[in-house]
Amino acid sequence: MKTYKIIIPVLLSIFFYSCEKNIDKEKPSIDLSIQDAFPVNCDTLYFGEPFNFIALFTDNVELGSYSIDIHNNFDHHSHSTEVIECSLDPIKTPVNPFLFIEDYDIPAGLSAYQTDTSITIPLGDETGNFDEGDYHFFISLTDKEGWSTQKGLSVKILRR
Amino acid sequence: MGILSNFSIAQTYYELSGTVVDENNEPLTGATVLLLPVKKAAITDANGVFSIKDLTKGKYTIELSFVGYNTLIDTIVLEENKKYKFQLDVSSLSLQEVVVTDNYSETRKNEVSLNIEIVNDDYLKQNLGGSLMSSLDRLPGVSTIDIGSGQSKPVIRGLGFNRVVVVENNIKHEAQQWGDDHGLEIDQYAVNNIEVIKGPASLMYGSDAIGGVIDMKNKNIPAENSYGGTIDLTGKTNNDFWGSSVSLYGREKWFFADIRATLLDYGDYKVPTDSVDIYSYRAALYKNHLRNTAGKEQNLHFSFGIIQNRFQSQFHFSNINSKNGFFANAHGLEPRNVDVNLHDKSNRDIQYPYQNVNHFKIINSSFYRRDKLKLEFDLGYQRNFRQEWSQYVQHGYMPATFPDNLFFNPDLERQFDKQVYSANVKSYYQLSSRIQLNLGINSEFQDNQIDGRGFIIPAYKQLVLGGFVFAKHNFSDKSLIQAGIRYDYGNINIKEYFDWFPSPIVETGDTIMQYLQRAAKIKRNFSNFTWSIGYNYNPEKWSYKFNIGKSFRMPIAKELAANGVNYHHFSYEVGNADLSPEISYQFDVGIEYSSSKFAIGTTPFLNYFSNYIYLNPSSEHDRLYGNGNQVFYYTQSQVFRYGTELHAHYKLFKSLQIGIIGEYVYSEQLSGAKEGFTLPFSPPPSAIFNIKYKKPKTKFVENAYLSIDYRITAPQNNIVPPEEPTDGYQVVNLGVGGDIVYKKQKVNISMQVQNLFNTKYFNHTSYYRLINVPESGRNFILNISIPFSGKIKQKVN
Repeated sequence: MKTYKIIIPVLLSIFFYSCEKNIDKEKPSIDLSIQDAFPVNCDTLYFGEPFNFIALFTDNVELGSYSIDIHNNFDHHSHSTEVIECSLDPIKTPVNPFLFIEDYDIPAGLSAYQTDTSITIPLGDETGNFDEGDYHFFISLTDKEGWSTQKGLSVKILRR
Repeated sequence: MGILSNFSIAQTYYELSGTVVDENNEPLTGATVLLLPVKKAAITDANGVFSIKDLTKGKYTIELSFVGYNTLIDTIVLEENKKYKFQLDVSSLSLQEVVVTDNYSETRKNEVSLNIEIVNDDYLKQNLGGSLMSSLDRLPGVSTIDIGSGQSKPVIRGLGFNRVVVVENNIKHEAQQWGDDHGLEIDQYAVNNIEVIKGPASLMYGSDAIGGVIDMKNKNIPAENSYGGTIDLTGKTNNDFWGSSVSLYGREKWFFADIRATLLDYGDYKVPTDSVDIYSYRAALYKNHLRNTAGKEQNLHFSFGIIQNRFQSQFHFSNINSKNGFFANAHGLEPRNVDVNLHDKSNRDIQYPYQNVNHFKIINSSFYRRDKLKLEFDLGYQRNFRQEWSQYVQHGYMPATFPDNLFFNPDLERQFDKQVYSANVKSYYQLSSRIQLNLGINSEFQDNQIDGRGFIIPAYKQLVLGGFVFAKHNFSDKSLIQAGIRYDYGNINIKEYFDWFPSPIVETGDTIMQYLQRAAKIKRNFSNFTWSIGYNYNPEKWSYKFNIGKSFRMPIAKELAANGVNYHHFSYEVGNADLSPEISYQFDVGIEYSSSKFAIGTTPFLNYFSNYIYLNPSSEHDRLYGNGNQVFYYTQSQVFRYGTELHAHYKLFKSLQIGIIGEYVYSEQLSGAKEGFTLPFSPPPSAIFNIKYKKPKTKFVENAYLSIDYRITAPQNNIVPPEEPTDGYQVVNLGVGGDIVYKKQKVNISMQVQNLFNTKYFNHTSYYRLINVPESGRNFILNISIPFSGKIKQKVN
């Protein structure tokens, strides 16, 4: 019977199969302490100006992908993952807040990768200029196996 | 016990009849009478009367059992028609012992070839946890997935959610079992008897019973012309819990009724830590309170029925209503800042985010019995209505300010409205003195509607039909073989769903705003053929069980069509419309030795899934549907599992007993993206060492007990993303109690100290483990139960 054909080899294999197999149990990491890392907590970005997102990603095996999400923190709903607290503007109601969501690939086979991603924040959209103020800069990183790490930064986006 | 006998005319075949009464000489209805070695059984009728016909001359062993009473075993010699009167004593045994020693359970266990545990309400009182399921956590092979202090889901040998079937009054309990953030909608005070089947039981319970079954029954039918009730009061220090449940019952000759009301109210629970690290975010706690985990519950039950010699029918109505908060810092698309002034003002208020659950049930359970035939009919209607509320926060491409032209409240995060209709027919037929034949049909129709601003599962309609044949054959009075087959058919119709807000889609360089389709219209049909065969051998003090079977589970709507963000795990979950039904093969063994002083038993199992449905964390992120979150895909993989439970106890003295309960389970994925990894929420090996002192009778206290549990749990390093390894821990729990008797009034008191040393530890299978929330600190629990009863005066004719 098919069942036994499966069960018996499986049974035998447990005894020869050690429990500690070579599987990846480590999360990747986001390093913002490198020189030139940008943005870091409490940095300021400007509407209408491009900037380069620079961070060092590392993993014990192989990196997967990352995403960046920038959304308003006008209601102070979010705090950063960093030790230093930034000074926030008073709570306000969003009128035309800026929103940015993007996912990025990391070239295959890398266990360390320094990003140099150019991001432009437009001045506004068809409804008008974007709101200045406190924003939340959220980075999510995965490795090939599906482990993940997040970092959340408090930034200000202003008009120069 | 008193025996009265009558003589009558001798014949080739004889009849054994009699009456079974309780300690007050009141007839016991529904007591089981078993005659060995012929294995003929009867059940006492409304007047406590039974009869077994067509018996030949000879020596028989008669066994009389009734839940809550000591089983009576006696030898009788039948040389003519005889009539006996049997009196059963109230059982002072409770299943609080390390090993279930109740005779009723023993008999039942010897007749079932899967491994089972049986508990009664004494056990529940003495081990009262935050919820019904956490009270069962102590049983070998049973653990829970907890969410806060009052919510937990059953896990049997590492399998939970839709892989465990919960049955209440013969009808499968249906809610949103897939969700990891709410518990079972069952009133723990209303449950009197629970049977836990460890292992796949699809044969009798259908799809979903692939991991096991928790089958519970409400109160037994009261004796004729009696009334009574119970007042239960419970308090817990950790979360300032108070609970009260009051029940009343009564029965005249053939009509009986029962009513119960339960009120629970609790505050935020306390954990032995000042702050928790939610992923990389640290959230400070105020006075060790896990912010906003307070809750309350209001339950009502009403049942009534008629009882006749051959026919019995009972209606159960129940409504379970609960409202409870979620840990405020860890809800939404990212760990959140909370308004501490608002949240920390009171530890009893329930602020956003919270959920409201209402579960309404009507069940009719009837049976008809005639000679060798018993027919059972069960009909059920359930409505599970659940809402999750949280402040409207724009995420992804939702508008920053909520438009005022929509048909739902902006703060309604999710709503599920599920109506379930069930109908079961079962027949038991005694084919010959050694063969019993069972036939059954189960059917269920589900209609699930959704609402709210977030999408995770679609609306759907689902129909499931199944039929089974099952036979038991006693080779001798010591050995029994049972085998059965089952066929199931199911279909599911998933409704399509579009976002209520547009998202920017980039197509050939242009960005257009479009309402995303989250779920497509899906129609799937499933059918499956399952089987099971088992053998029991019970010589003297030993018991051996072997069972092998195939079980299956239909994919649920979430697995087929999820497409949204999980607000608790900050992940984006995607269903797979092409999933096939999960198939599992399991081999179970049970070996037990038991004497009056010493008992030991082990229940190993081997299990293979050809296509376990698994939510696989991928390396991808998704901008459009997933709001930039990591993507989790439903996939299928081969899984191999094995494990065992072990229990032993030894009576040092008449009143002092030591014991141990241990459990171990190992799981491994043999194929797919996570080959070599375990399954999520794998319970670590654990053992409970127990010392129990019992004193059946002192001057004022009856059934006094003192019990110490020392629990050792090993570390769990066998993990799968996004889990973290969990350290081992050691916890001491104390229990003390008894019945205080004053004149004729009895007051049952059960006290517990859980986590005596206020140890900070993490439970690997806790839902809050991922965000580093430790388990509850020290908790004093007091339960006072006051039963009362009396006789209804009968009119003199």
